[in-house]
Amino acid sequence: MISRVADHCFWLGRYLERAESTARVLSVTRQLSLDAELPAAQCWRPVLIVSGEEEGFLETLGDGGVADGDRVQDYMTWSDDNASSIQASVSSARENARAIREVVSQEFWMTLNELYLWMNNPQGRAQYRDDRDGFYRHIREATQLCLGVLRNTMLHDNAFHFISIGLLLERCGQTARILDVHHHVLTQLSMHQVVEAALWLSLLRACAGGEPYMKTNHGRIITPDGVAAFLVLEPAFPRSIHYCLIHSYNRLRSIRSPEEPTLPGRDVMIRLGDLQAWLAKKTPAILAREDIHALLTHVVDETAAICDGIRTQVLGLGQQQSQVSAQ
Amino acid sequence: MSSLFANYRGADGTFDELCSADGAPRQAFRRALESLGRLTPEEFTRCQNLAELALLNQGVTFSVYADNRGAEKIFPFCLVPRMIAAADWAKLERGLEQRVRALELFVRDMYGEQRIIADKKVPADLVLGAKHYLPKLRGIRPPGDVRIHISGIDLIRDPEGTFRVLEDNLRTPSGVSYVIENRLLSKRIIPGVLEDARVQGVDLYSARLSAALRSVAPHGRDDPTVVVLTPGPYNSAFFEHSFLARTMGFDLVQAADLFVDDDHVYVRTTRGPSRVNVIYRRTDEAYLDPEVFRPDSVLGVRGLMRVYAAGNVAIVNAPGNGIADDKAIYPFVPDVVRYYLGEEPLLEQVQTYVCLRDDDRKYVLEHLDELVVKAVDEAGGYGMLMGPSASADERNDFRERIKASPRRYIAQPRIELSTCPTWISGHGALGPRRVDLRPYIVQGASGPWVLPGGLTRVALVDGSYVVNSSQGGGSKDTWVQKP
Repeated sequence: MISRVADHCFWLGRYLERAESTARVLSVTRQLSLDAELPAAQCWRPVLIVSGEEEGFLETLGDGGVADGDRVQDYMTWSDDNASSIQASVSSARENARAIREVVSQEFWMTLNELYLWMNNPQGRAQYRDDRDGFYRHIREATQLCLGVLRNTMLHDNAFHFISIGLLLERCGQTARILDVHHHVLTQLSMHQVVEAALWLSLLRACAGGEPYMKTNHGRIITPDGVAAFLVLEPAFPRSIHYCLIHSYNRLRSIRSPEEPTLPGRDVMIRLGDLQAWLAKKTPAILAREDIHALLTHVVDETAAICDGIRTQVLGLGQQQSQVSAQ
Repeated sequence: MSSLFANYRGADGTFDELCSADGAPRQAFRRALESLGRLTPEEFTRCQNLAELALLNQGVTFSVYADNRGAEKIFPFCLVPRMIAAADWAKLERGLEQRVRALELFVRDMYGEQRIIADKKVPADLVLGAKHYLPKLRGIRPPGDVRIHISGIDLIRDPEGTFRVLEDNLRTPSGVSYVIENRLLSKRIIPGVLEDARVQGVDLYSARLSAALRSVAPHGRDDPTVVVLTPGPYNSAFFEHSFLARTMGFDLVQAADLFVDDDHVYVRTTRGPSRVNVIYRRTDEAYLDPEVFRPDSVLGVRGLMRVYAAGNVAIVNAPGNGIADDKAIYPFVPDVVRYYLGEEPLLEQVQTYVCLRDDDRKYVLEHLDELVVKAVDEAGGYGMLMGPSASADERNDFRERIKASPRRYIAQPRIELSTCPTWISGHGALGPRRVDLRPYIVQGASGPWVLPGGLTRVALVDGSYVVNSSQGGGSKDTWVQKP
């Protein structure tokens, strides 16, 4: 497939996932701020850190704004200055899809376009104002609908694989950052076990992992090590880091067969393979003894480098001229 | 007659496509119009709104050039169809095929022997002075020996109801995607009316175009790689480029995706370079190849014309066709038909004064207040003087321009365009609005094929003659009756 098209596919997947993830994190944090009797800034600052937007927020709204949940939500939902806002993510997803309308299915395009139009007409604003939970739920459902329509109406060809890789690598980074930020904050606190359990549960929910965690652990009391092991290692959970790495690696191998050594992108494939193999060796017991922050930092850095490698090596973008092989 | 058409009257001095002077539906369309007329204005408003919402949700839009944010607008659509009777269409179809065959031979000749100049049927300085004549291409035979693969011939209908050619578009005519999308709306929203009208289908277009593109592959390749080349998502016609690629199943590429190596053109893919055989380009030829056209341009594919000259890629439409759709050549097209085909032209056109000719120029300068003056190298309704409605200053300005460069100008009497009942949402009623028609002709190695119907553009502003989408025009579905 055409490299530029693959790049659009990759980013389409990333932005769709980012829109959904941001909506989920905002929704969960809002619940938490109502329940947990924590200082507001302590609830909302992690949202900004996870998205990498704390600096931009402080520049425009100042440190006082962090304690104002509505300001953080406005910034993370609507702001044009914030490339991670839901609005910006949906617009970027649509821009990428619009450039490759001939590649994605028509039904998918319409589903995504309707989400975009809803956010940009008074209906979306009104729901945000009157029914915040319903608003976030609409974003999550609409993005999930997009992905479902995509899966069931377009060819499962390389374009589909590139969308999936973008989505999985974005999700991998999101899960790692959400866990890292909250793990850091939560282990610093010493508080009543019930409050602590509520916080860990909200962390799981931010990754759509509340119920799956309970099913896997049969309702046992939530522990920091248990949550970390679940979000990092659980192979059956579609948002765990392990799941995202294994599946993105498999997709990349189906695009770029390891049996064809001359194809572009060999190094980045090896790098992704190494990362998932490294993680596959971990067990919950090993994880409990390790510095979780160092581990997650490694995952985030490697994922960023792999995304970059896909762009430069597989797609040949950001380089002057790709090589010509005789045909 | 029922409610929707109850008070409809055409405008004085015009031919109305659907209704006769007393407001009664024309005989050929009676059944369909009775069916449509059964809708009340309230019901029709709902239908019209549904159509507009569908266009928005599907993203059937064009980008607005002036807006650097790349804003998208829907092309305004009127659900009342423009109908063409079977007998009228049969005549048009033959005329259009004839015109395209003749123009094809003309372009071939101009980039070959130039017999028509030697035989003095067209003035040499007029043709060879055309802005779009590319002498560098002389002697190159394109694959399949076809140059005018896709054409859009703009027609108007005079007060007597006679169709006349207004201009030929032989480079990259656009709009066909709206023809097909408009039909989908008619099918969805007024299916009963469509059924009663017995209309020829338009959905074969992509298959016909795909077959034509494949038929002109270099070296007679069986299963060629065909791509559609677009300037990108910010181009005003991007929706159409994407639509055509999608419905034909070909890749949509931008110039940066292509490169030339060793007299072949390749597309950059995730599996390395892959050779391309046919390029349906929707880019202006000035941006095809900076080696040949615009050395300063960063757009385009460096070396593409070398590949073309070597016969290793088909470029659709062929570069250089502008020599035949130049407004200064237009007055000579009937002679072109006679010269190459030995037939009388089947299509009428509009009487035209060529300012390069002394007699014509004298007449034009004396009658500026009656004529429409057009610059030969402008399109889209720009560079025009509408003599009857222009101010004295505007006329004087054109007078000086014509004297300074007579070759650049032609003049025509203003033809009263035909009208069609059109929904005026502000009034909640139908009113007569002026229309034109752009049929599309696809020509592969086996000759021309005319898409039944074409794009009907409508001037939505009361009293306006300008149907261009950039200047307040909209569109209608065009219904050609089955024979």
